[in-house]
Amino acid sequence: MATIPVNPKPFLNNLTGKPVIVKLKWGMEYKGYLVSVDSYMNLQLANTEEYIEGQFTGNLGEILIRNDRKNQCHCVTA
Amino acid sequence: MANNPSQLLPSELIDRCIGSKIWVIMKGDKELVGTLRGFDVYVNMVLEDVTEYEITAEGRRITKLDQILLNGNNIAILFLASVILILAIIWLHAVGPWWFS
Repeated sequence: MATIPVNPKPFLNNLTGKPVIVKLKWGMEYKGYLVSVDSYMNLQLANTEEYIEGQFTGNLGEILIRNDRKNQCHCVTA
Repeated sequence: MANNPSQLLPSELIDRCIGSKIWVIMKGDKELVGTLRGFDVYVNMVLEDVTEYEITAEGRRITKLDQILLNGNNIAILFLASVILILAIIWLHAVGPWWFS
């Protein structure tokens, strides 16, 4: 079962323009369209909705999620 | 170092797991099991068919995720599928007197 590896940077670049969910360490989730990614994996999202502990808390529009040591996140295709 | 086949770099060990199920234990109360698709030098990982387990005040929460990019900074332990099997055998032996009789 030879599988083709999919590494993080190409995976993320392939997701631009697509809906994603970004889950932060603290329990917040941001659902929106991935506009762009930089080399630090900072993320720009459009049409963003915020969920806290699974509850919808509001529309945020265009946002930047900064990927630093505190804002640890992982991205999920929606 | 390459002359000694038993001496693997950590990245080589993870590389051998591509395509296999792995068990990731995070800092805090979160664990994930999924198929490893790829990773980078920071051990950010692309995982597929993921089950995420979180220990919350209301008990254990299970979330299914198709495809994720997992940030590597919070990974505490990474179990290979073979280690999971070994742990399962050890556990079976621990409860063996009832199970095998």
